Amino acid sequence: MKDIFFDLSVRSVRLNFLRSLLASIGIVIGVVAISSMGMLGTNMQLSVKDQLSSNVNTIILTSDTVKVSSSSGTTTTQSGIDKSELNDIKSSAGQNEVIPIHRTSTQFTLGSTNGRGSIYGLDPNDVPKFLTVADGTNLKGGNDALVGATIAQNFNIVPGSSIKIGQNCATVTRPVVRVSGILEARGISSDNVNADNAIIVSDDWYTTHYGNKDLYDQVNVIVNDVDTINQTEDNIDRKVNRNSQVVRISDASSRLSSISSTLGTITTFIMAIGGISLVVAAVSIFNVMMMSVKERVQEIGILLSIGTEKGEVRRMFLYEALILGIIGAVVGGIMSFIIGYSVVSAMIGSTAYFFRPESLIFIPYGMIIGVVVCVVSGLYPAWAASNMDPIDALRSE
Amino acid sequence: MDDLPLIRLSDVTKTYHLESGDFTALDHVSLDIAENEFVAIMGPSGSGKSTMMNQLGILDVPTSGELFIAGENVAKMSSLERTHMRRDIIGYIFQKFYLIPLLSAYENVEYPLILKYKKRDTTGRATALLEAVGIDTEKGAHRPNQLSGGQQQRVAIARALVNDPKILLCDEPTGNLDRKTGHQIMDILCKLHEEGKTVIIVTHDPKIAEYAHRTIELEDGKVVAS
Repeated sequence: MKDIFFDLSVRSVRLNFLRSLLASIGIVIGVVAISSMGMLGTNMQLSVKDQLSSNVNTIILTSDTVKVSSSSGTTTTQSGIDKSELNDIKSSAGQNEVIPIHRTSTQFTLGSTNGRGSIYGLDPNDVPKFLTVADGTNLKGGNDALVGATIAQNFNIVPGSSIKIGQNCATVTRPVVRVSGILEARGISSDNVNADNAIIVSDDWYTTHYGNKDLYDQVNVIVNDVDTINQTEDNIDRKVNRNSQVVRISDASSRLSSISSTLGTITTFIMAIGGISLVVAAVSIFNVMMMSVKERVQEIGILLSIGTEKGEVRRMFLYEALILGIIGAVVGGIMSFIIGYSVVSAMIGSTAYFFRPESLIFIPYGMIIGVVVCVVSGLYPAWAASNMDPIDALRSE
Repeated sequence: MDDLPLIRLSDVTKTYHLESGDFTALDHVSLDIAENEFVAIMGPSGSGKSTMMNQLGILDVPTSGELFIAGENVAKMSSLERTHMRRDIIGYIFQKFYLIPLLSAYENVEYPLILKYKKRDTTGRATALLEAVGIDTEKGAHRPNQLSGGQQQRVAIARALVNDPKILLCDEPTGNLDRKTGHQIMDILCKLHEEGKTVIIVTHDPKIAEYAHRTIELEDGKVVAS
C-alpha cells in the first residue's frame, strides 16, 4: 500500500525543492564529517596496531634477583633466571614456546673496523621461532653467527664474513665467528630482542666464552593464542614467584592497549567535532520543518477538520523530516566513501585498512546518525502541526 | 436515547475569552434538526453563524449545555472520537472549497476513504462520485489550482459525500461562485437532499436560503426564528 501521507510529504519536499535540498546539504556535511573522521581514526588505530602487534604474543621474563654461584673455587654473583626457575617456567607455560636468551654487549672487529653491539646466545633451534634469516642460513656449526640487518648494512657483512668478538687488545687472541646468515630487519620489536644491532651466536658458543651456563638474562614465552596471554602469565607467576617475587613478567599487550585507547579517544574527539556540524544541520532541518508547518497551516486545518487523526498529521511531517534525512544520509554516505578514502590516503599514506569492516562501518553509522538527527529535529514541528486547532488553522491565510 | 433527533442543541452556550472581555457567541440555544431536513441558518455577521457551524461540525464543543449529534454527546467524546465522527458522519462544503492543494482532484475525493479504511480506494467510488458531480477522469487528474471555482466546489461536494455521511454541512457554499454556477451547486445539493441527506446551509444570502425548507435565524447568538 502506498501511504497517502508519505505521498503528501514527498510532494511537499518537491514543492520546496531548493529549500529542502539546502537543508539536506547540512545533513550531508554532518554525515561526511562524522564518518570520514571515524574512518580516519580507525585506520590510524589499525595501522598502529598492526605495526605493534607482531610481537604482542610474547611474554618477557627477566629477573633482577642476584644469584650466587661458585664454580672451581671462585664465587660469582650475577642476576638472571636460573635453571630451576627456567624449569618452572617450562612446566607452567604449557604448549607455548619457551626461549631462554643469553645477552651481553660487546666490542667486535670486522677486518680493521671496530664496532659495538649486543651479542645474543640462543639455541639454534629457537632462532626460526621468532627471527627470520633473510640471506644465508641459520646457525649450524659451533662458530656460526647471525648478524642483524643494521650491523650487516653498516659493516658490509655478507654470509661468510668473519668477525672477531671481544675487546680489541693486541695481547689477547680473540675468538672468531663466521657469519652464516643475515637477519631480516625487525624495527622496534616489543619482545625486547633488538636483533638489528646484534650478533647472534649459539648458546654453546656463548657460554663457552662468557660462562653463565645455566643463568639466562631473559626468557621469552611465545604464546600460540594471544587471548590466553594473561592466563599463561598468571600460571607462570604462580609457579615461579610462589615464594617470593624473583621473576618480572611483562608483555607488549598492555602498551598496545594503552596506545589503542589513546587513539580511540582521539577518534571520538574528532568525531565529536564532526558532530558539531550535525547539530548545525539539525537546527536547519528544524527551521525548514517549522517553515513547512507555518506555510501549510490552512492545509493542516483542512486535514484536521475533515477527520484526519492527529497522529496522521504528525506522521506526515515526520515523513518529511525522514525524507530530508534519507536524502542527506544517502548522498552523505556516498560522499563519505569518496572523501574518507581521500583523507585516509592523504593522512595515513595507506588505504590498506580502509576496506576493513571496522573502518567502513562508520559510513552506515554516520548515515543512521544523520537520519535520526533529522527525525528528532522534526518531532517538535510535527507535534505543533498536529495540535493546531482546526478552526484557527482553517481561518489563517 | 433512541428518540433523539439527528441533531439536538439543548441550552448550548459558547463563550470566547478575549482580552477585551468574555464574548458570548451562542447564548442558550436550543433546537432540534431531524434526519433529511434541508435547513438554512441565517443571520447578519457576528450573529453566531460560524460558531453554530463549528458546533454542528464537531470542530468545537459547547462551553455549557449539551449537543447531541447522531445520538452522541459531543462534549463527552474524546478528541479522537470526535475526529472519527467528523470523518464518518459529516460532509463539509466550504465557501473557499478547501481542497488539499498537493493532491489531485481525484485524490482529494479519495482522501476521506483512505482516512476511514486506511487503504487506497479500489471500489471506484471516488471516480463514480466525481462523474456524478460532472468532473471527468481527465479533470480529476488536475490539481485544485488548475480547476475553476465551480469545478473545485463540485470536487469538494464529491469529497464530502465519499464516506456517505448523514449530514452535509455547507458554509456559504456559493459565496465564491458566480450566480449561474451557484445555482448549479444548489441544484446538486437539492438532489442530495432528495436522496436522503440532511443538508444544513449557513448563509447570509436570502436567495440561497429559499432553497431550504426551514430557516433558522440567529441574532446576537440567539435563535430569533426557526
